[in-house]
Amino acid sequence: MELVDKIIKGERAAIAKAITLVESSKDTDQQISRELISELIKKPGKSIRVGFSGPPGVGKSTFIESFGSYLVSQNYKLGILAIDPSSQITGGSILGDKTRMVEISKNPNTFIRSTPSRGTLGGISMGTREASIILDAAGYDFIFIETVGVGQSEIVASNLVDIFTLIVGPGSGDELQGIKKGITEYADIFIVNKNDGELKMEASKTAADYKSALSYYKKLDALEKQVLLVSAIEQTGMEDVIKTINQIIDQNKLKGIFDERRADQLEYWIEEEVKNIIASDITKRLTSKGNIPKYSEKVMKNEMSMYEAVETITKDTLKQ
Amino acid sequence: MTNKSNNGFNTWQKSFEKETKKNFSDAKSETDEGIDIKPVYTRDDLENFSFVENNSLPGQWPYTRGPKASMYTNRPWTIRQYAGFSTAEESNEFYKKNLESGQKGLSVAFDLPTHRGYDSDDDLVMGDVGKAGVAIDTVEDMKILFNNIPLDQMSVSMTMNGAVLPVLASFIVAGEEQGVDKSLLSGTIQNDILKEFMVRNTYIYPPEPSMKIVADIIEFTSKEMPKFNSISISGYHMQEAGADNVLELAYTLADGMEYVRAAMSKGLDVDDFAPRLSFFFAIGTDFFMEIAKLRAARTLWAKIMKNFGAKNERSLILRTHCQTSGVSLTEKDPYNNIIRTSYEALSAILGGTQSLHTNSFDEAIALPTDESARIARNTQLILQNETGVTKTVDPLAGSYFVENLTEELSKKAWDIITEIEELGGMTKAVKAGIPKLKIEESATKKQAKVDSGSRVVVGVNKYKNPKEPSVDVRVIDNNRVRDDQIKKIQAIKKSRDTIAVEKALTNLTNAAKDETNLLIPCIEAIKLRATVGEVSKALEQVYGRHFAKSLSVSGVYGKHFEGDEEFMKVESKIKEFENLNGRRPRVLVVKMGQDGHDRGAKIVATSFADMGFDVDMGPLFQSPKDVAKDAIENDVHAIGVSTLAAGHKTLVPELMKGLKEIDPKSKIIVFVGGIIPEQDYDFLYENNVSAIFGPGSNIIESAEKVIDLISDNLSKE
Repeated sequence: MELVDKIIKGERAAIAKAITLVESSKDTDQQISRELISELIKKPGKSIRVGFSGPPGVGKSTFIESFGSYLVSQNYKLGILAIDPSSQITGGSILGDKTRMVEISKNPNTFIRSTPSRGTLGGISMGTREASIILDAAGYDFIFIETVGVGQSEIVASNLVDIFTLIVGPGSGDELQGIKKGITEYADIFIVNKNDGELKMEASKTAADYKSALSYYKKLDALEKQVLLVSAIEQTGMEDVIKTINQIIDQNKLKGIFDERRADQLEYWIEEEVKNIIASDITKRLTSKGNIPKYSEKVMKNEMSMYEAVETITKDTLKQ
Repeated sequence: MTNKSNNGFNTWQKSFEKETKKNFSDAKSETDEGIDIKPVYTRDDLENFSFVENNSLPGQWPYTRGPKASMYTNRPWTIRQYAGFSTAEESNEFYKKNLESGQKGLSVAFDLPTHRGYDSDDDLVMGDVGKAGVAIDTVEDMKILFNNIPLDQMSVSMTMNGAVLPVLASFIVAGEEQGVDKSLLSGTIQNDILKEFMVRNTYIYPPEPSMKIVADIIEFTSKEMPKFNSISISGYHMQEAGADNVLELAYTLADGMEYVRAAMSKGLDVDDFAPRLSFFFAIGTDFFMEIAKLRAARTLWAKIMKNFGAKNERSLILRTHCQTSGVSLTEKDPYNNIIRTSYEALSAILGGTQSLHTNSFDEAIALPTDESARIARNTQLILQNETGVTKTVDPLAGSYFVENLTEELSKKAWDIITEIEELGGMTKAVKAGIPKLKIEESATKKQAKVDSGSRVVVGVNKYKNPKEPSVDVRVIDNNRVRDDQIKKIQAIKKSRDTIAVEKALTNLTNAAKDETNLLIPCIEAIKLRATVGEVSKALEQVYGRHFAKSLSVSGVYGKHFEGDEEFMKVESKIKEFENLNGRRPRVLVVKMGQDGHDRGAKIVATSFADMGFDVDMGPLFQSPKDVAKDAIENDVHAIGVSTLAAGHKTLVPELMKGLKEIDPKSKIIVFVGGIIPEQDYDFLYENNVSAIFGPGSNIIESAEKVIDLISDNLSKE
């Protein structure tokens, strides 16, 4: 495929077109995109995929702008896939990432793509996984996947990345009780932002709170979860972040966790794909047979119980 | 005595209901401000006031009727026309001509690079030099600007907020080198940074250091320049950005309160500086509302200043400059603008303004020509000399309607002011982005009313002129201006004492680290011929440059079109597009260069999104190259360029070049909207622009054209 060569050469427009293809809901596009991904996956790059999430208002984009600038200044190539939360259920969306990552978006060593989340599961859009495969093949050293923290999204996002980072603000330690269950399990690094000016004390205290809370969550096989203090505005703490990322990646590779994770993720995605296909197939069958309204009416008339109706419809739909 | 209980009113009400076939209680019309206007007002409507005092007199508490006892009967308002373009030489010529024709004060418009603290030779400002105002790089330019204009006799108003320090310093040094001591300089510097963060975006530093600079200037002028107004607290740009009159009034006064606090925090007594605070309001087409706004503003400010503990009567009095609304001007049927401006001017006069700028009719498309500037000035001269409006002070006092409206506006504004105060004042509110969002919401509503036809704009959405007149406009060759400025900068840099300049700039940087009044080291640097850009950068080292986060409203526009056929037609075209192409049409809306007026871009973004487009919003101050990269990486179908500062002839071709550089086969289409003289249309089309939308364009129609263009373009593949 001509597109494959262009992507591997790193041609910006080709990468962009390819991402459009994998995000497209059009049948023919999906066909091409499957072929494309099958080709690209044979030529993997060396990207490290890092997930960033966190509640709104903690300075996530400012952090990414700041950390990204640092990486680019160290001659890394950086791809960013931003899932924009501002989409609406009806109507289109306004994608504002460009107004939040002004400096790095100018740099020739970055590729920044934002995608409206369209209200799909956990804010991860269709095609995010494929887009990261494209950027990997195109030779980007790091791929950031940015999602907004709405609970569910972390779990899906963490199944896309090699390392998952949660960004929090000073003072959020108190909320830890509420959010820790799911997230602490999935996140590898906790970054406490806004360690600057008047908030410095508060930020250190929050970091300490996280550290003590996380000590209960030690896993035997993985590296201890890390808590880091940064200031996106003053660009401090960035070396620590990259050092920690590299450390975790190296450790995980050494212990085989890195590959294990990727294998687990592959299983997860295969399962998701299969479920999706089955679900859409079943939905089609259900609608075409019109069994639900038919049996629902019978239940209403007390001709059969709801459970009998469910059982009959299920059997009828699954045979064939 | 209550009228409603008497027979007279009942009889009137019956007649009214018979004539209109409507219940009296339903016969109200709601204004943009959410005020219900009744078909008739009576003496009853003068009761239960909490702000307006029925028996007050001009020049007396609460100053509703005017700051002075005699008002125009003694001396008419000052005709102060805002102008400036290209080089200092050309602006100076223009000023001198205007002064000869009856203008009394000068008002300087600076170009965008000067506002944002860049020298003309900076790559970032390529398209903007000399375009929307005059370029000032050093004190030499300032001296040329006022050549043969004696600064001890002429009051000079300067619209400057971002680069206030180097510009005011240059003005002071220019005076000094003319032989005029700073204590004799009179005039005003706008110095109102808070509204820049809300609407106009010509800031340089973040809010806190910017507020410190404002306070430094208030402190310096209160001690050293007794005839100079240290600040002009401006609502003008809020209304221009789409704020209704309550928002304009409330936010302006709330800004004023924040400046008072900033100055007091420097240890100044409120009466030391308050008499030198001045205001600046926009006057739009809602005739009585605008009159009431000025009356309400004075009433509220007196109350506010009393609460601050002001003892000097002059501290309580709000004095204001007004300008007729630029946003009410239309590109279509442009001579209508002369009429609009005349009514707006009359509103300002009946409201009791101290000085006035009347817009030229061609300002919806370009900078005024000598001829259009003359008509604008004459609008005021006719009011002063022919109509008799100067003969009575506050002639509308006692009008049931106007007094009631003054009270209503005061009440509504006071509620908003109280809200802002509860948030901790305007700096905090601005940092949280609240006023900006409220103004954008109001702007979007107004636009929706015009587009849906529920608000009539003559010559635009009704009574269209079948034969649009063509109008000659002033053309600025910004490349020539830029070359001239660069030559001047180079010559100055060669002849000045470089070591001394560097030392002065280091002093300035150091001063920014502590509490020193920055104007003093600034004057030193400017005297040694440091440039505006160098001075700004010296401070930037400590303060950094501010980048605004952008919040957007959604759903506001679409709400006005529920069930609207045109709107639904575009919606369904977009759905069809999505089904056919597997994604929604995607448009990148951008501002390029130093033009920070983003109302238009924001309205387009939010309304396009409401119709079903995916809209990428670019940051302010982007270079064409950056825009091209964004557009290609996000694989957008189209780029919408919003331009209000005349930089399009340089910036659009650069964008086209940028796109082709990254992707020679790029099929991204480009459309342009904003203030574009018809003379430039051919040039833009030749540069492959697909569509141009001038001021007053209907957004739904524009959206339909864009989706059609995108579809056509794709079907060619």
